[in-house]
Amino acid sequence: MILLLVTAILAYRGIRARAIISLWGVSLVATLLLFNYHVTSSLNLNF
Amino acid sequence: MTTTSPATSDASVEPTLGSYPIGNRLAFWGLVVFIAGYCVVLLSAFGIQFISHEFPCPLCMLQRYAMILATIPIVWIVAESLRGRLTRVTYLRSLGMSIVASVAGSIMSTRQILLHIASKTDPGYGSAVLGLHLYTWALITFQIVIVYCGASMMLNGQAIPEAPSSPKVQLLARAVLWLFLAVLVANVIAIIFLEGFSWVLPDNPTSYHLLHQF
Repeated sequence: MILLLVTAILAYRGIRARAIISLWGVSLVATLLLFNYHVTSSLNLNF
Repeated sequence: MTTTSPATSDASVEPTLGSYPIGNRLAFWGLVVFIAGYCVVLLSAFGIQFISHEFPCPLCMLQRYAMILATIPIVWIVAESLRGRLTRVTYLRSLGMSIVASVAGSIMSTRQILLHIASKTDPGYGSAVLGLHLYTWALITFQIVIVYCGASMMLNGQAIPEAPSSPKVQLLARAVLWLFLAVLVANVIAIIFLEGFSWVLPDNPTSYHLLHQF
């Protein structure tokens, strides 16, 4: 969450594009890893 | 005004920034409304959390993160536009980032919807708002963002955000940006109270862990 806040402040201040995109990418990966951590069971669904 | 050289045909000429003033202004205010909309969504989630005393589950928090991830690139576009430094590359890149975050958010919402659909006796997590649970609303907002950003990319030749020149009107857009940053700070404080000294939220939170740890 703090990573997201830092990224948002960088985006608002318009600091270097590379820094914004890198931090945003790291935040996205961290969010997906958290998602992977919290998804612990398969669902009993047939498609 | 689009300029053409004798060597190029009309069909191949790309409009320059600011070629369509009305479209540019609409694109700018559309993105300000985008940020304001997600501020309302995140504040509503806070309302349910604090007024109805419903604690957000880990998947709910992850969907909030995805909403924030989808909004940050839009904040970048609006801020750069207010400075008069917005380029087409930054504009298209940011819309792409927003789409990627929305797809990630859609996956999380869909997972939570399926989780509660799987059991016929499961009433769903939390209370419903206008007949739908918050994670279903979240999925709808992510789909709207994907469609909006995709349409903006299609129309980028006709409309690229351009901030109004009046400082008073610019202040309105800046206020929305500050509101978003304030909502983000509030979320940081809320997650610290929810998680306490743990790295992750419990699967079914029932209290603010930090208060118990003290």
